[in-house]
Amino acid sequence: MSAADYSRDLDQHRGYLMRVARLQLRDEALAEDVVQETLMAALSGSGFSGKSSLRTWLTGILKHKIVDAIRRKQREPASASAFGSIESELAIEDFDALFGERGDWDTEPADWGDPDAALGQAQFFAMVDFCLEKLPPNTARAFMMREVLDLETDEICKELGITANNLWVILYRARMSLRQCLEQNWFAAQRAAR
Amino acid sequence: MIRYALGHMISCKDASRLVSLQEDARLPFWQRLRLRLHLSVCVACARFERDVRFLREAMRRYRR
Repeated sequence: MSAADYSRDLDQHRGYLMRVARLQLRDEALAEDVVQETLMAALSGSGFSGKSSLRTWLTGILKHKIVDAIRRKQREPASASAFGSIESELAIEDFDALFGERGDWDTEPADWGDPDAALGQAQFFAMVDFCLEKLPPNTARAFMMREVLDLETDEICKELGITANNLWVILYRARMSLRQCLEQNWFAAQRAAR
Repeated sequence: MIRYALGHMISCKDASRLVSLQEDARLPFWQRLRLRLHLSVCVACARFERDVRFLREAMRRYRR
């Protein structure tokens, strides 16, 4: 593969990398910087072995760039966070409304049929993006750190300055919300079409 | 032992929290047993567990 081809392949992932970086940094300029650094590192490095997919490999590089950026930002004195207070996202009681008095589901999770069929569809992932954007900022960030950037639980706690208990609550919140969002905007329509 | 665990049946609310938690931490033996017992008789929570696992797989594909 020529250098130009490789460079073009890398560029195809720019949109994806920007989405991840935006959710992590909430700072357009900084997100652009880390994505640019990631693509530069990918271009200059000898790294890509073809063992994983190009995107997975780029995600690995991006992860380190993001963690560096978060740390640099934390050292800045006036880093009023664009994420807002994390405390407001820690109330697990928000979800009690989904359960009745005795702790059973008010609306039971519906049957998603064969959800794996959705994994082959680009529109489904556009909906995943939509649902991620709707999460509270710190919640989206923690969930992405866990499920996309593949950071360990204790690393996430360190970066976000929260306890393990806090993180579990936030991840619960993320999963409940994403499940609900995908149910309403994807799986309900799939059922109706059947 | 089963009777002991049944005597401490958990609610769907608790079960849903444990379903999420088991993705990120190792549950203590008794909690695991109570959760498994609950899931064996509760279709709704069993679905919820499947949905949470599906979400994880979806995010794995997301970065692939």
